Amino acid sequence: MRRFTSFALILLAVSVPTFADDNAAPAPTSISMNDHGDPVLKAMIAELKRSQEKLQLGQLQRPYYIDYQVTELQDYTADATLGALRTDQANIGRLVRVVVRIGDYKQDSYFGEGMGAVEVMPTDNQELALRRQLWLATDKAYKSALTGFTEKQAALKNVETETDLADFAQEKPAQSLSEPTKLGADLDKWKQALRSTSNLFRNDPALESSNAYMNFRVLNRYFVNTEGTVTRSGRSVYTYLFSGAAQADDGMWIERSHGWVVTRPEELPKADEIQSEAKKLISTFSALKKAPLVEDQYRGPVLFSADAATSLFERLIVPNILGIRPDLGNPARTNGEFASYYKNRVLPEDFTVVDDPKAKEIDHQALAGNYEVDDEGVEAQTVTVIDKGVLANYLLGRTPIRDFPHSNGHGRTALAGSPRPQISNLIFKVANGVPFEELKKKLIQMCKDQGRPYGYYVETTGPQLSPRLLWRVYVNDGHMELVRGAVFKQLDTRALRSDIVAAGNDNYVYNRAEPLPSAIVAPSLLFGELEIQRANRTREKLPTYPAPELSSVTASK
Amino acid sequence: MPFFKSLFARLFLCVLAAPALLGQSATPGATDPVLLKTMQQELDRAMSSLSKADPAPYFISYSVSEEFGTVIMGSSGALVANIKRHDRNADISVRVGNRDLDNTHGENRFNAITSASLPLDDKPDAIARVLWLNTDRMYKKATQGYLEVKTDTKVRAEEEDSSPDFSVEKPQTAIAKDTAAPKFNRQEWEDRVRRYSSIFSKYPDIENSMVVLLVQDSTRYFVSSEGARLVDSKPLIRVLALGNARSADGMELARSETFDASSFDKLESEQVITAKIEKIAQDLQKLKKAPVVEPFNGPALLSGRAAAVFFHEVVGHRLEGQRQRGENEGQTFTKMVGQPVLPKFLSVEDDPTLPSLDGVELSGNYNYDEEGEKAQRVDLIDKGILKQFLMSRMPVKGFMQSNGHGRAQSGLMPVGRQGNLIVRSSKSVPDAQLRQELINEIKKQKKPFGLYFEDIAGGFTLTMRNMPQAFQVKPLMVWKIYPDGRPDELVRGVDIIGTPLNALNRILLTGQKTEVFNGECGAESGSVPVAAAAPAMLFSEIEVQKVSQGHERPPVLPPPGVENSNVATQQQNANPGGR
Repeated sequence: MRRFTSFALILLAVSVPTFADDNAAPAPTSISMNDHGDPVLKAMIAELKRSQEKLQLGQLQRPYYIDYQVTELQDYTADATLGALRTDQANIGRLVRVVVRIGDYKQDSYFGEGMGAVEVMPTDNQELALRRQLWLATDKAYKSALTGFTEKQAALKNVETETDLADFAQEKPAQSLSEPTKLGADLDKWKQALRSTSNLFRNDPALESSNAYMNFRVLNRYFVNTEGTVTRSGRSVYTYLFSGAAQADDGMWIERSHGWVVTRPEELPKADEIQSEAKKLISTFSALKKAPLVEDQYRGPVLFSADAATSLFERLIVPNILGIRPDLGNPARTNGEFASYYKNRVLPEDFTVVDDPKAKEIDHQALAGNYEVDDEGVEAQTVTVIDKGVLANYLLGRTPIRDFPHSNGHGRTALAGSPRPQISNLIFKVANGVPFEELKKKLIQMCKDQGRPYGYYVETTGPQLSPRLLWRVYVNDGHMELVRGAVFKQLDTRALRSDIVAAGNDNYVYNRAEPLPSAIVAPSLLFGELEIQRANRTREKLPTYPAPELSSVTASK
Repeated sequence: MPFFKSLFARLFLCVLAAPALLGQSATPGATDPVLLKTMQQELDRAMSSLSKADPAPYFISYSVSEEFGTVIMGSSGALVANIKRHDRNADISVRVGNRDLDNTHGENRFNAITSASLPLDDKPDAIARVLWLNTDRMYKKATQGYLEVKTDTKVRAEEEDSSPDFSVEKPQTAIAKDTAAPKFNRQEWEDRVRRYSSIFSKYPDIENSMVVLLVQDSTRYFVSSEGARLVDSKPLIRVLALGNARSADGMELARSETFDASSFDKLESEQVITAKIEKIAQDLQKLKKAPVVEPFNGPALLSGRAAAVFFHEVVGHRLEGQRQRGENEGQTFTKMVGQPVLPKFLSVEDDPTLPSLDGVELSGNYNYDEEGEKAQRVDLIDKGILKQFLMSRMPVKGFMQSNGHGRAQSGLMPVGRQGNLIVRSSKSVPDAQLRQELINEIKKQKKPFGLYFEDIAGGFTLTMRNMPQAFQVKPLMVWKIYPDGRPDELVRGVDIIGTPLNALNRILLTGQKTEVFNGECGAESGSVPVAAAAPAMLFSEIEVQKVSQGHERPPVLPPPGVENSNVATQQQNANPGGR
């Protein structure tokens, strides 16, 4: 705001002659738009039209583009520990994000402060009250656009720009109306489920902390722009998870979690499924505490489960295929690691990776990243990102990058932030995939050939890809031994390109709620060579005094 | 969702801390609530287990604040948000070392508390486990802090104030009876918030406006290793109305009103609230067109409400105990004890034990502070002479005891804070006569006009936390009063310059009627509800200038729905001019 203040002062003093040329331009004619009888869309269209026709400050430029995105949120969060509910919150509200662009598609004000304004919106469908907040946000966004435009002109004077990229891609207006979504789950029933799930953690009194958590979120979104796009969409995401943490005798933290992220309430797990998964997870703590520490250094074959593979790709592939334009003056294509890998091989040749927002399910499992139109009002498109191992496309919103002048419908935002390219359902497909057991045999064979007593199998990983369940697979009889305290070294995009020797014909669907609803689907992977090391993290001291007594699961019911 | 979270959370959190209510009895432990009993057991266990550790803690306390909160927000006649919350927050304090020097010394003080969410269900072992884990964490933090403190004191020059870090007090025991949660009809109140918020829509010059209903039922449970055992609860109902506008030259104009009560039947009536919201909306219309103040130095009259805020900010905050000790503090009053700081006819007290004054409920009322000390009436300034400070359990030179003013928002370390600050005067005239006294003073000083401060915002009139606010005095409604009978003239953009403290000694006399201002006060220990009360005051001299801020233009387009009506006429009607 401070920056704008000083800018406004300059405006008053010199009234910026550079913009004067465009003043003669007639008011843009507005396109006819249908509100489909929806009171929110009606208010949005009315205010959008009024702004399009009349919004102009003194002799300064008028907007060439305006969009409104209203996000209606119902968010329920609760958590329980050891059978007792601990947090219980409900948030209901609406937000609007308004983008006003001045200049033209080639060069505009979407820069610095000019990237939109956010206001709260009434949850009541009262036209004037809705329009009032739209009016305030539009005014703010317009003034910010004027600032953004000046900031951009100033910034351009200081940098060399090699490419002649447009600032904003011209796209076909979209019309897409789906029904708003409602909460489809019984909150009290699920709070009760949190109690019983968290109560199971009494089975291992050595756990220092544990909880069961849920977040049910319904998000209805309305979008209109001055190009004639009108969309309404509804989605919901139901998250249910549980986790625990313990310390091994040497102070090392052992953390585990398991969860479900689904888009329909009927896909939430049944009570017995939750219970068996929870019990399975709880039993791993004592095993992990007893597990030996990994050796100082291992360099050899490593097998990733499909679950672990999705985490691997999430970290190493996802950020690099997003077509996010780097800062002004930076000649790179994107700000990811794959900026210069266009048409180059980034994965083995039998891998093809598709991002498919239109896919609703795979192997009867619903995918969380499904949508019709993205958050910039562009129709969703299926994009082959990596074709036979070669980087063929980036995921794009309406900010073009070198060689990609158009959006492919991947401009997304979680709540009211600026839309940016994001994955939807990122599906890793592999030709010649083999059953998981084959991969395991192959792992053993490789180790045998190299004269190793065992190889490693990563079942699941935590933050920063640190393995949570890591097994030694012995070559003599194939038995597995759990180890702890490992990290990967030099597990990077180069390893993905060169060290994967085989992949499974299985699929793990990793649905995520954050940063926004999306899914990663991948098979298990066998690496010919990876480095595993002992983690050199500071180990916290064990608790100074013993934990209070815990009654048993049955007693506490 | 940073934006969403912060806005809603800030509004939601604008009232915290849990002062007390009447009607309690020190019943034996057997009938204690499950939560309190669990806290006590776990505290005892921690204290005895850790007694073998090195260093062993010499003090542990658990303070749990349980809150049921509802927030209903409306704007322009429509609801904007609806929030419901229930939580139990535990603040764990562990002290190692000794009272003279412990882990809370100096800068380490704000690191001497650990907070955790406790189970809402009364499952003792689940509650105990969270307390245990976080006590252990706090203990480790305390031992590290103590080591740092010891090293620090060895390395640095001796401090000017070598008072101990923790006072010796008699532990308090009081278990309040269960208080009924404030009952209200949600739907009816949603409608009422819609009605209140729609008042602003009649005034096209008002940009943002908001009406918030906050219903908060909070109970605090406190146990300490010294033997304190407290349960204390106090509901708070608050209606908050805010509006803002911008003048043509870009000056931000804001008005707000707060209505606090301990129960719905004690809340102001709908007529009164409507009228006051109407008034602030009209004020904004008037302010928008009012001329900017020119630099001026001369007589001024402060309304009781303005004087109350002025004293809270300028005097009250500077009398907080910790300000006399901290190295980064101004220590304005530190060495003034026993000396005159105000005119002889003025006395200032802080009395959190007062539930009301002249029939008006006081928001700074509580029975026990956040350190478990009994609230006390404190005579801060007696007949102009500075007597003492607002004390928590952190002593300062010459003041070794708490006087029950250790206050904090849950999650933060308590420090000396105000409760109900009351200014009393022995040199007063009937309020009706004050205006004439002002005119006399203007004539005497041969000034062209004087100023009437109808309303001043302090940090604490803005009910949001995390704002730089302590000590800020921001005049909102200031009128030029002419000695020759011309109508009063509203001016905007007034900024008081010079040291506000100097102005205090230019108070000539006061009115007789005490006005109460209830609100929220923010400082390093967070946001706490407070009240300030004072009579109107005549100053021989206040120096003002134009504020230097805000240059954003008013909206380009008129608000939706009024483009076809005659806005100018509407404005005329809303602004009859003068008073």
